[in-house]
Amino acid sequence: METTHVPADDLRRALIAADPRLSKFNPLPRILAYDEFNTGTHGWCELIGNHDGHGNLDTVDVHMRDFRPPQLSACDFFDIGTHGAMSGNYALKIATRPATGHTAVAIRRLTMAQRGVIQFETYFTYKGEAATEESSLGNSFGDVEWDGNLHPSEAQFGAFTVATDLCDGDGIRYHCVARYQNTDLDNKFTRRWIYPTVPEPTPRENLHNQENLSPTEDFTAPDPKDWRPIDDKPQYLCYNEVPTKVNWHYLRWQFDTRTRTNIELQVNDRVMDMRHVPVPQYADKYEGLENLLNFYVSVRTHSPVRNFLFLDSALISVDW
Amino acid sequence: MKHALTAVLERNTTFTADFATEPYEAGWAREARWFVRTLALEGEEPHLHLATQVSPDGLHWCDDETPVQVTTEPGLVTWRVQEFGHWLRLRATLRGGDPKAKVLIYLALKS
Repeated sequence: METTHVPADDLRRALIAADPRLSKFNPLPRILAYDEFNTGTHGWCELIGNHDGHGNLDTVDVHMRDFRPPQLSACDFFDIGTHGAMSGNYALKIATRPATGHTAVAIRRLTMAQRGVIQFETYFTYKGEAATEESSLGNSFGDVEWDGNLHPSEAQFGAFTVATDLCDGDGIRYHCVARYQNTDLDNKFTRRWIYPTVPEPTPRENLHNQENLSPTEDFTAPDPKDWRPIDDKPQYLCYNEVPTKVNWHYLRWQFDTRTRTNIELQVNDRVMDMRHVPVPQYADKYEGLENLLNFYVSVRTHSPVRNFLFLDSALISVDW
Repeated sequence: MKHALTAVLERNTTFTADFATEPYEAGWAREARWFVRTLALEGEEPHLHLATQVSPDGLHWCDDETPVQVTTEPGLVTWRVQEFGHWLRLRATLRGGDPKAKVLIYLALKS
């Protein structure tokens, strides 16, 4: 394989720095996908569980049949109208139902041409839905009492997740996952980055387990005890008090499909070493998922309030 | 090229009471078309009334100018919507004795 020599690398970096669209990212040598949502959804679509050979959607696992279609959002709010995104008017919006435990998921499906380092970058924001007279839960929620600055909306936001579904030529399937848990299930702030210690249950595992599934099951790892903090330090993000102000945050996440391990996660000014974070593999080998390279983002509400994850833009790059 | 996007707002969902779909933001789209596939409609003379609703903020809703569609049997119905602002949803009313409707609801959007 050809090696990039230094002058070419300098030129490449200068070209990226001079491009207003790419300058805010730090891509690895090859850009696989650049998604700005003024030009459509770029392959980010609703995740759904598998259905049977008759096309009968009743056979989809009950907790994987309502992950909601993503929206191209101008970030419209009741108080100011259109807020707009960071790179243009539109962001990709993933929205839950107003039901405690409901999860919305958008997925992007690729394959790997080689194994190596993969990086996912995005500018994102997260919000709870603004209240109306009918839907309001009052001025006090979780840890928050409205005081003119602090707003109960922040405690009504549960968690968002960046994750993958990966399978290589050896049939080994695994998920690298990072979740920002804003609140625990009692709506108390935790503000932690966490990861699952078990692989995601598959439709085959659930095929004869349907009676035990609930529609609000956490599909990534159902048991809250199977999640661990990446480190002990909470990360305070810029919710900006009310549900109608959006401030865009930078996220950069790297993992290595050669070693099937995490590398690091950067969110704004915090860089977390993820090399020690284990990546559980499925015990069984998989067929039909050769070189699977899926990315998904999800949002999960811990309150009866719609939760939203907005992506202004995303960039996927690799070192091959 | 124009943009096009299909969203599935309800999928094999069974309703026994009036309902509204989740809010869908589509300010980028110039035209929309609802497709409602009724898989089952049971009860005593069941009727499913479907009204297009619009909103300035995704929170407060009113019917738009599109005529209400009425379904009385399983099958596919469709109608078009234009000049709908930024938000769309469907308000459904079930009529008849012990009515029960199982539906798929598609929203097809184009710029």
